[in-house]
Amino acid sequence: MIEKGKISASQMGIMMYPTIVATAILWVPEATATRAGRDMWISPILASLTGFLSVYLAVRLHRLYPKETIIQYSEHIVGRILGKGIGFVYLLFFLQLDWSILREYGELMVGQFLPRTPMFVVLGSMLLVCAAAVRGGVEVLGRAAQYFVPLFILVFGMISLMLFPDLKPVNMLPVMEKGILPAIKGAVEPLKWFGEFIVISFMLPFLTDRERGMTWGMITVIATMLTMVVINLLVLWLFGEITASLTYPYVEAVRYISIADFLEHIESLVMAIWVAGTFIKIGVLYYVLVLGTAQWLNLSDYRPLVYPIGMLLVITCMWPRPNLAELAIYLKYIAPVIGIIIQTLLPFLLLMIALIRKRVTNGGKAVQEG
Amino acid sequence: MFRKWFRKAKPLSQKQPSTPQQDPLSTDFHENLQVLRSIYNNCADVIFRPFLIGGNKKAAIVYIEGLSNIEEIDRSVLGPLMDAAAGEADTLRAIIENKITVPEIKEVKTFADCIGHISIGNPVLLIEQEDRALSLGLAKWEKRSLEEPTAESVLRGPREGFTESMGVNTSLLRRKIRSPRLKILSMKVGRYTQTEVVIAYIEGLADTSLIDEVRNRLQRIDMDGVLESGYVEEMIEDNPFSPFPQVINTERPDVVAANLLEGRVAILLDGTPFALIVPTTLYSLLQAAEDYYQRFMIGTAIRWLRYFFFVISLLLPSLYVAVITFHQEMVPTTLLISMARSREEIPFPALVEALFMEITFETLREAGVRLPKQVGAAVSIVGSLIIGQAAVSAGVASSPLVMVVAITGIASFSVPRYSAGIALRLLRFPMMLLAGSLGLLGVMLGIIAIIVHLCTLRSFGVPYLTPLAPIKGRDVKDVLFRAPWWMLNTRPRLTGEENKYRQAPGQKPDPARGTE
Repeated sequence: MIEKGKISASQMGIMMYPTIVATAILWVPEATATRAGRDMWISPILASLTGFLSVYLAVRLHRLYPKETIIQYSEHIVGRILGKGIGFVYLLFFLQLDWSILREYGELMVGQFLPRTPMFVVLGSMLLVCAAAVRGGVEVLGRAAQYFVPLFILVFGMISLMLFPDLKPVNMLPVMEKGILPAIKGAVEPLKWFGEFIVISFMLPFLTDRERGMTWGMITVIATMLTMVVINLLVLWLFGEITASLTYPYVEAVRYISIADFLEHIESLVMAIWVAGTFIKIGVLYYVLVLGTAQWLNLSDYRPLVYPIGMLLVITCMWPRPNLAELAIYLKYIAPVIGIIIQTLLPFLLLMIALIRKRVTNGGKAVQEG
Repeated sequence: MFRKWFRKAKPLSQKQPSTPQQDPLSTDFHENLQVLRSIYNNCADVIFRPFLIGGNKKAAIVYIEGLSNIEEIDRSVLGPLMDAAAGEADTLRAIIENKITVPEIKEVKTFADCIGHISIGNPVLLIEQEDRALSLGLAKWEKRSLEEPTAESVLRGPREGFTESMGVNTSLLRRKIRSPRLKILSMKVGRYTQTEVVIAYIEGLADTSLIDEVRNRLQRIDMDGVLESGYVEEMIEDNPFSPFPQVINTERPDVVAANLLEGRVAILLDGTPFALIVPTTLYSLLQAAEDYYQRFMIGTAIRWLRYFFFVISLLLPSLYVAVITFHQEMVPTTLLISMARSREEIPFPALVEALFMEITFETLREAGVRLPKQVGAAVSIVGSLIIGQAAVSAGVASSPLVMVVAITGIASFSVPRYSAGIALRLLRFPMMLLAGSLGLLGVMLGIIAIIVHLCTLRSFGVPYLTPLAPIKGRDVKDVLFRAPWWMLNTRPRLTGEENKYRQAPGQKPDPARGTE
């Protein structure tokens, strides 16, 4: 196997949490608020169904092909040529996922905190750090996540507490004024984030305790869903109807904090912690991209690919979308569709075909055993 | 890139220094003596003392002046042998059993062994017609008395430290751990110095594969001389390109004993009081012996304080630079005004100012360590008081910065292991540069880079950040806290799982215990 490291199922869960949440806390409140209005907190619950489905699909496929990732077993399932094609689609998909995250990070940093720093420096420095982690392999990513995630949760938990005096729960009433439809519409965009759980198919083969993969995958989906609900509620209780018009409602919420005239304007500090979460997210997707490429090309080692793909990422990041507005349109209208097709539908089809093929080839045997 | 250069270095010619004769001793006494004399040509401190056993049998004793106990040689070897009656001491066996009153005697058969014994101070006795010589355990040399280690002092706890002499050090260990399961393996390292290196471990607690690995790595060392355990440390590390120490060094026998009991392996070197302990984790570098001697609540509190200042010693100057340069809004307004007032006259950007003061402070510290003690005090007064004060009034540095530098300095002294503190002192400078160029984002990227590096580190196969990453549930209680002794039932999980428990469970003291 290319990757020699081993992680535990809990490490996988801890790694996946920031992989979903890191960017979700920035974009999901605004996206859900636009479409769901006051019912924005219901949307993540509905959207999380894809998360459960993705984990289920990844684990089922993993059980059929225990030592392989989706790039490898798609060849076994639909044949060499079509399989390579699907693999390539996945690589392109992860490339666009990774650059869009990187770009979101860059836009936020340059837009809110470092207005006079070139985007290239911001992206490049982050990518260098990620490259170091990716070269260390899945073990290093897992351990780094174990370090940063508790910090991440602690800081965001404390922020929620500090916002407490300003919250007005009345903002959420009436619940489901126009039926469930707005909430469902609002759920379209978070689908993309929950679909990202398919990434675990790249980690399942390296687990020490495989049987717990499903459990920890599901726990992570629930944790992610709860985090999104809590953040949506916080923002809603704080800003009410105007949430939809804010670019980063959560950052605004942090700006809002002022305790004892001393703890105020802590958004830079919070962003620094958020960077740690984003680091895990970019690192994991970067790792998946590098590992997938190496497997797609049947290489014996993925390390030589780390820097070239990193450069590719920075370039793709700078090139296709000129500004934040276009990026937002892309993220709002195009990315969810691609996301659902590739992250959920394609694995679903793969699983169906794999099950049917298994039934056909094992058919005789099963009858005999019966 | 650098790795490649280092790797490319051609293997040096395997030439050994004038190879000590591997030949066995011959039965010809004069030839043996001749060979030894030629080997010790121009060595004025090697004494050859020929004499006759019982008046007829030729013999000679060879030793190095100052390394052997001369009175004992006279009383238990020369005296009895020269006074022996004819026929009483004809055979080697008779000599050993009847005449020589030395407790430790070894037969040696080759010149190489002879030289080995002579050079550690054991006199070697050559006897006519014998192809074996006798090595007498009479080594004795000047040594320092036991003192309290200055680098690791404690308020409560044993005050003895290792010395430069191997015999004393192993005996100190043996006095702490009396069980015969304490094993002490000896080997020689260094082409010229032939330094004695000892691997100490407790059988059944230390993982056998760990012991083998330590032994293999030590055997691979092939260098001219090993004068301090620092030489060995650099030769056996897992990652040579890391600022973080992957081996603990300590002068305290109680620290070594405690680590042996946790299943680690110690390496002791003759000629230095510093013992090495492997495998090492980052947290063990942040623990002091005294944590375990004081009450557990105080131990825990002090441990937290130390973790906090460990981080401070790395981050404070860079946080200051980042906040002053990029994020002024984070400082409360009144404080910001007073800071701005004090920075008003400073011509430099915060980064330059901080670098300047930090480098000055590091220089002061280095000068203070190297200078004689009496002068050192003067340097610290001149440095800390006068320069600090003058820098502020001359408008070179602002007073908040002087405070930051001082706190950082004190924080780095609070790290109990000097080798870990020094790593942070080094990393502080790149962190300041990052803070000066990218603000808090730069600081965070620096932290991420350091943690990623720490996550890749291993010390003898054990991940450097165990037990927090990868998380080992049972061991967290001895890292995040200092759990009371009656709760520390399990040994830290290092490489093996052998012998999990270190004490009987359920020993929580309670007056009602043992009454029912």
